[in-house]
Amino acid sequence: MASSSSSGLTFKLHPLVILNISDHYTRVKSQSQPPSHASSGGGDSSSAAASPSSPSAHRVFGCVIGVQRGRTVEIFNSFELLYDPVTHSLDRAFLEKKQELYKKVFPNFYILGWYSTGSDAQESDMHIHKALMDINESPVYVLLNPSINHAQKDLPITIFESELHVIDGIPQLIFVRSSYTIETVEAERISVDHVAHLKPSDGGSAATQLAAHLTGIHSAIKMLNSRIRVLHHYLVAMQKGEIPYESSLLRQVSSLLRRLPAIESEKFQDDFLMEYSDTLLVTYLAMFTNCSSTMNELVEKFNTAYDRHSRRGGRTAFI
Amino acid sequence: METQPSSSSPPSSSSIDASSDQIFYYDEAAQAKFQQEKPWAQDPHYFKRVKISALALLKMVVHARSGGTIEVMGLMQGKTDGDAIIVMDAFALPVEGTETRVNAQADAYEYMVDYSQTNKQAGRLENVVGWYHSHPGYGCWLSGIDVSTQMLNQQFQEPFLAVVIDPTRTVSAGKVEIGAFRTYPEGYKPPDDPVSEYQTIPLNKIEDFGVHCKQYYALDITYFKSSLDSHLLDLLWNKYWVNTLSSSPLLGNGDYVAGQISDLAEKLEQAENQLSHSRFGSLLAPPQRKKEEESQLTKITRDSAKITAEQVHGLMSQVIKDILFNTVRQSKPQTESSDPEPMVET
Repeated sequence: MASSSSSGLTFKLHPLVILNISDHYTRVKSQSQPPSHASSGGGDSSSAAASPSSPSAHRVFGCVIGVQRGRTVEIFNSFELLYDPVTHSLDRAFLEKKQELYKKVFPNFYILGWYSTGSDAQESDMHIHKALMDINESPVYVLLNPSINHAQKDLPITIFESELHVIDGIPQLIFVRSSYTIETVEAERISVDHVAHLKPSDGGSAATQLAAHLTGIHSAIKMLNSRIRVLHHYLVAMQKGEIPYESSLLRQVSSLLRRLPAIESEKFQDDFLMEYSDTLLVTYLAMFTNCSSTMNELVEKFNTAYDRHSRRGGRTAFI
Repeated sequence: METQPSSSSPPSSSSIDASSDQIFYYDEAAQAKFQQEKPWAQDPHYFKRVKISALALLKMVVHARSGGTIEVMGLMQGKTDGDAIIVMDAFALPVEGTETRVNAQADAYEYMVDYSQTNKQAGRLENVVGWYHSHPGYGCWLSGIDVSTQMLNQQFQEPFLAVVIDPTRTVSAGKVEIGAFRTYPEGYKPPDDPVSEYQTIPLNKIEDFGVHCKQYYALDITYFKSSLDSHLLDLLWNKYWVNTLSSSPLLGNGDYVAGQISDLAEKLEQAENQLSHSRFGSLLAPPQRKKEEESQLTKITRDSAKITAEQVHGLMSQVIKDILFNTVRQSKPQTESSDPEPMVET
């Protein structure tokens, strides 16, 4: 089950889906345990600590939708589904109703598969998986592990595909893991940043905006730096012979290095310079506006002061 | 290796965590009781705060952005808590508006009923507490039609909230541009004019804004997330930092910036006309009028400063990226030398 996929599909997952599953899970969990400890503040932390012990007690199910273009599968959104404990599958009528509703709002999105929560794929999951195959030939299965483990540095999300394998002479479908990347649109990135750090809703002064902007870039570069450092350490260790020599990894590193400088062409330099001057021009324009506004104010003040004299002296206004 | 956000966020998020998971519990009896008491009927200013879940915010912003320059709308589900309206979730409606006209049609109502029904089955128990729509590129405020829609809903569907999102400015400014509003009942005069946050409104919408801006008030918006949400969001950053480097606000929003500048030019022209007018009749014009014109010019100045700041931010990231990824050739003889600053010279 742990073998990785060989289908060659690229999966792109949007953060909205992750939050959607997380919300679905949290909601069902908090609804199933009424806050008897609502008055006591201490009871809350104990309930949070107790919940990971029984994450499978309330698994949630839903459908993921998105777009498949060629070999790239992009998962944009998701919606909840009902689990039918009698037939051990998903409520079909409900799914169709939901699909119809979503089709009206997002006409380009198709059903790509389904999601659930838990620590690993279970045997019974294949049953649900197969049931979806008439909607999508090869559905994906997004699994979120809802237990909070602070030691873990990776997202507790696994994407499974099904593959047909011949085991003991019988062709069987088994789940295989696929790798995925996180994909966002610009607006999505900003709102994720927004909620992740819980910024105040108003932007504040220009100085705080600048600070926020630069902090964002700084932390990204720090991350890049740490990743490069890890690679560097690895390479040094390999050179010393502490780690076995691995050609495929070295090839990847070398191809990565060869891509630098990222863009080096006359055209880019020109365009970049153009962009640079454009921004400078905008700044210049803004300065002009500012200047003329200040000038106007000055003239107004001057006129007010001058007016009093002119009324006595009978002269015309300054400008 | 701790990342910057995760090391800085725990003090703020842990204090929220304690109560954040409780907020997800829906107490039907308490809500029904509140519904019967109708404390908002006496005080038109009753609701003062809005709490929006991370999920709802993300859904709304993504939906608003997917509409491009077309206005889209949807509904929000949630509950009330004292003087706060809590928005738990949002869903899109199959309605598209143009310009400042967003109107729910009959099939949208049918859709709404269908959706709420399926949602209730799936364990989302909250009722609809409001609607959201997008104002791509012209700021968060309520137009005349929005005001009448909201007023109607506040008469029959209380508690009801209006949220406006500007996806274009969100991308341009790098922060979520969102506003939550409630209208006053008809004939109600707000006691004193609370100074709302200044915002840029395009010239062709300014009249619509000015006529109706006294008919509603803005609510204070805060956000919340569950403990699982914040855990996932922290982890998300580990995969996510690449996007901060790979995005460019300069490229994505060229149209918007150009539009803003041309709008400013028009406004300037108008201001100039008025100025020259008042100059000729300076003896006749009352001094109050001058005050107004001055503030108009200062407004224009502020708008231009805002655009410039955004542009400079965008350029700054571009220059940083250029230094990071394109100056490798210079450091070849002496590996990892200190960063030269080539762009300043050019």
